[in-house]
Amino acid sequence: MDKRSSAELLNIDREPGSYNKNLSLDSIHSNSLNSKQESVSWGKTSPSKSYCSSSSTSTENVVSTLERRKVIKTANTENVLIRPDEPPLLPGEKISGQARDVTYLCPYSGPSRGVLTVTNYKLYFRSVDRDTPNVVDVPLGVVSRIEKVGGASSRGENAYGIEIFCKDMRNLRFAHKQENHSRRDVFEKLQQFAFPLSHKIKLFAFEYAELFPENGWAVYEPIAELKRMGVNNDMWKITKINENYEVCDSYPAVWAIPAQALDEEIRTVANFRSRGRIPVLSWIHTESQATITRCSQPLVGVSGKRCREDERYIQLIMDANAQSHKMFIMDARPSANAIANKAKGGGYESEDAYQNAELIFLDIHNIHVMRESLRKLKELCFPNIEETKWLSGVESTYWLKHIKCILAGAVRIVDKVENHKTSVLVHCSDGWDRTAQLTALSMLMLDPYYRTIKGFEVLIEKEWLSFGHKFQQRIGHGDDHHSDADRSPVFLQFVDCVWQITQQFPNAFEFNEYFLITILDHLYSNRFGTFLCNSERERIQEGAKDHTISLWSYTNSQLDVYRNPLYWADTHQQLVLIPIASIRHIKLWKSYYCRWNPSMRTQESVYQRIRELLVLKEQLEKQVEECRREQFIRINFLLFIVYPFGRTKK
Amino acid sequence: MNDLKDKRFRSYLLDEESLESISLSKFNKTKLLDGEYLITEASRVMMFSSLSDRKKGTLGTLTVTTFKLSFISGNDKDNENMDEYYQNNLLLDPFEVCLSSIDVIYQLGERTKKKLVCGQNVSGKIKELLVICKNMRVFEFSFKFADKDCGKSVANALLHHSCPKRHPLLFAYEYKKPYNRTLKDVRMFRNTNDWETEMKRTGCKNWRVSSINLNFHMSPLLPRTIIVPASVTDSALSRAVEHFRNRCCPVWVWGTHKGSALVRMSDLLSTITDRTQENIMLEHIRKSHNEKRQPYIMDLSKDCPSPKDIQISYLRLRDLCIPDSIRLFKTQDYKFYGLLDSTKWLTYVSTCLSKAAEGAKEMCPPKPVTVVLQEGNGRDMNCIISSLIQLYLDPHWRTLSGFQSLIEKEWVALGHPFASRHCLVAYPDSEPAPLLLLFLDCVWQLLQQFPTAFEITETYLTTIWDSAHISVFDTFLFNSEHERYLSQTSTTPMILRSIWDWKEQFTEKDIALFYNPLYDDRYTHRLIPNTAIAFLDIWLQCYSRWLPDLEIRNGGKPQIDLCSRFLRSEIHVLKQKLDNGDLNDIAMNGNTNEYLTMLKKVDCFFPFSRNHGQITGTLAINSSLLSGDTLDTQSILNHAAAND
Repeated sequence: MDKRSSAELLNIDREPGSYNKNLSLDSIHSNSLNSKQESVSWGKTSPSKSYCSSSSTSTENVVSTLERRKVIKTANTENVLIRPDEPPLLPGEKISGQARDVTYLCPYSGPSRGVLTVTNYKLYFRSVDRDTPNVVDVPLGVVSRIEKVGGASSRGENAYGIEIFCKDMRNLRFAHKQENHSRRDVFEKLQQFAFPLSHKIKLFAFEYAELFPENGWAVYEPIAELKRMGVNNDMWKITKINENYEVCDSYPAVWAIPAQALDEEIRTVANFRSRGRIPVLSWIHTESQATITRCSQPLVGVSGKRCREDERYIQLIMDANAQSHKMFIMDARPSANAIANKAKGGGYESEDAYQNAELIFLDIHNIHVMRESLRKLKELCFPNIEETKWLSGVESTYWLKHIKCILAGAVRIVDKVENHKTSVLVHCSDGWDRTAQLTALSMLMLDPYYRTIKGFEVLIEKEWLSFGHKFQQRIGHGDDHHSDADRSPVFLQFVDCVWQITQQFPNAFEFNEYFLITILDHLYSNRFGTFLCNSERERIQEGAKDHTISLWSYTNSQLDVYRNPLYWADTHQQLVLIPIASIRHIKLWKSYYCRWNPSMRTQESVYQRIRELLVLKEQLEKQVEECRREQFIRINFLLFIVYPFGRTKK
Repeated sequence: MNDLKDKRFRSYLLDEESLESISLSKFNKTKLLDGEYLITEASRVMMFSSLSDRKKGTLGTLTVTTFKLSFISGNDKDNENMDEYYQNNLLLDPFEVCLSSIDVIYQLGERTKKKLVCGQNVSGKIKELLVICKNMRVFEFSFKFADKDCGKSVANALLHHSCPKRHPLLFAYEYKKPYNRTLKDVRMFRNTNDWETEMKRTGCKNWRVSSINLNFHMSPLLPRTIIVPASVTDSALSRAVEHFRNRCCPVWVWGTHKGSALVRMSDLLSTITDRTQENIMLEHIRKSHNEKRQPYIMDLSKDCPSPKDIQISYLRLRDLCIPDSIRLFKTQDYKFYGLLDSTKWLTYVSTCLSKAAEGAKEMCPPKPVTVVLQEGNGRDMNCIISSLIQLYLDPHWRTLSGFQSLIEKEWVALGHPFASRHCLVAYPDSEPAPLLLLFLDCVWQLLQQFPTAFEITETYLTTIWDSAHISVFDTFLFNSEHERYLSQTSTTPMILRSIWDWKEQFTEKDIALFYNPLYDDRYTHRLIPNTAIAFLDIWLQCYSRWLPDLEIRNGGKPQIDLCSRFLRSEIHVLKQKLDNGDLNDIAMNGNTNEYLTMLKKVDCFFPFSRNHGQITGTLAINSSLLSGDTLDTQSILNHAAAND
């Protein structure tokens, strides 16, 4: 694509008054247009722009939609040659195919005719038959399945075309004309770039070349994070035993383990834990020294195997906390599932073998149950909301019950750590799904640091990415196995839980809902390298840090957009959040799950009003300051100019 | 966080040994109002904490007077000024309720629960009483440690006085404290002037004031002043009124300068088959429109729930909000949304909101027409829909004084039968139904969707519902203006004390919380709410505030409210500084600290949370929500079986 048209679009987007709309566009593209302007443009966003844009992104009004309607003012057309068919492109993005005379079948506003473009990053449709063009702009990463609808013999309007099933709770339908044979080409290009890995093509993240002033890869530094919590100390040490990922290939290179633990022992423990995922430190209470550690299930099996080293190692974790002579092992699974795992060589810690440890099952279901639950939820929310049986419908998806269960589990962990000063060991089967949900959530409740924007990024980097939540498998980046049983919305559930907590504690978080939605959008988009691969080791192998851009580079370059105006840093220092894990307080996150439905966007926003008030306050403060300065000058003027000897003259 | 709990209510385990050690040295008595008399009193009564499964409670004195039911803890510490941050009613202490707000009384046995019937006598021994109030508050008392027959006398006192047989037996007739009316902005619509002003304010022409009902001769259920089409004569009115149920002929309530008006009327009498009189009236209404457009008639009896439906729904909702055991609480939590669905409460809220939206749309450009609301007796659903339409369209009603005037006009003046709907008096034919609550819930939903459009807050709405059952105010006491008028003609006229005179009940600090800090008086648009159930929420502050297990510590909506209040006050201080030219900034910091302390003390049911004290143990965490059996039905059942 030539540079001119992108610059034109840039002008259009920059037109005063339109930016407010723009941000309501899409989290993924709202700033993409600045890209040709080099990184300088990042620092130059005017305050008014960031104010307005952030206002339209606040909780109730989040419209981080990938779908947008753009108003192009005629006044602008005289000096700009608009070629609306050409989509705005990101650096590194190339157009690979285009079809005219395609109809987008919008479930809300009806069919509209236009041009469909496929690039190596996105699908872009722009209607021609309306005053305000209907624009659909979807990164191909969100596509899970593409199907042809109708055949050569199909009769009836719009019966022949393509249906696209997305990972973010929507489907898209396009109708093609049989006679111009555009469908085959579009279908092939979509297949190719939506599922690049199935076609031996690199993911777009490796092509994407935008420059950002911030470097997101530097956000998380494992040793610095451990130091923040006071490790090394007498009881805990940092070890690099896994530097080459030999002890455990899905764990990070750097661990914190009990200071007394010997390297040999650790290798033995690793053999006794599923996939070598031994208990290591997630979080330590800086005062009480109570800890949260995480691992996978012990390989007990039907015969009830024991491992002295593992037992001693758990004892070391318990002893590292002088405040308590007891410890809790939280098994995230329902007890029935834990027992069933024995048959497969896994299982759980018997209280005979692990003295002073109490085992609690948290009853959280597995990835397959969660996937099914989300599928039902999508049926309920998209395209149209089932109104008459809405409440029962929500209930029958079980989604909120799963959310509640996870939250309740995390609250139990917090209770043990905070109120009983007891250490907690968390695991499920492999310790990379439910375990990550539980440790990350309880850390979020315990430690105000993780409630800041950068702290939250650290939390995700640490508990999810470095500890090997298998994002590649769970999301299925770039492959076409849409029915892969390894796919599951585990991370989405975590973000939903975070959202629930932000609803219960509206001023405890530095970030707003828009931040969470942006994270989820780029979980699928494949624009950034952050959520690629299954483990730290794989990301290093792929050279993610060198060849892709971190999502945090993007977010940290526009922090204002993600700030919660209610956040009051010093009020909540050291304060532990205890959300109420009752369904009565847990709500469906409509502004995420139902956001494609235009009527679901609530019209008003508390946060917008608070921002207005904050701006007013700032203005007044400025005025007061000016007056004060004026007064000061006037007084000085009086003192030293008018009455040079004024002080004596009263 | 722990210090919050320890300060207040001590809770005692129910074992008799520890009981002996409790000193009841200083006998605490309830304060009596002017004209209030004591009926019965029982000491050493145990009040159980909610959801404690009758295992935790407080020992104290239970009193029934002609005005209230009062529990005063035997422990002096509990009675010290409980908390400055919570709403304190000047007429009622924290553990006191007006007799009129009591809805049902149950006699509890080990495994039995028997409803006691008002007006009848209990003869047997009473060990435990369960008192459920109209605002979903629940009290559970045990007389195990009290003197013999105490339970019986308390029960009988409640049964005889909570719902008297005749209206003049209500406490409002007894309450003798002089009343200094301080209301200024609220219009009562009891006189012609208020109606005339309203007509002028709206700029609605072609309508006139009629004095035909000045003595309630034409219709006892309409106000003394009514506004009717300019073209209709009084004699035509008297003819027409014969055909309408309750003699509620069409009356104007609101309009626009574009000529569309809002009119309310009842159905024709069922005995009348000839609709001529109705058609004559509708023709007059058509003529009163600027462009003589046909009015849009909305038959509310057909599309809206009946009072009976609403009452059934309310009782189901109440069951859902006041589980009497932890086990029930958990079972409900397990299938909460389904249960909520089956109460139909939100369905009815949605119906009201969308019916009103339909009416509001008709009254707006491009083709504004007059909307006529028609309903059986003209005094139930008409009140809700008419009020909502006006809230949608006219920002005037969204202010605090405007909202109060709106209720005076649509509910009080136009005769919503409060006494019978709120069951204040045991009328033989009374049909209880909380229509006012349904309306307040609708307004609450609007507040959620338009947080800057209203000057009022949810705390204000909740307080209205609480106050509606306090029988010292006349506002919600009568079935019609005529009844109010009659109450003034007896030898000892009742003092008409308006509920809107909030100073009678609260101090400045509580009243301040009625004002929405996010209110933007430039917000004058028409409200177009999303009315589908998917957009509605359950009003937790009003319905769940008595359940300590649901209280979010340092969280919930009050945090947003207080943040904005603080911001507002900072802006105010800054403005003052600029006006006065006094630029020292000493005041600000003090303010900040006070605010920060407040944020840390305030929980999600603020200012109604009185739950701290009732939570026992050392945990801030409520264990009832945490046990692992929350998801798996089978394990809930197992758990239950193990308990039995």
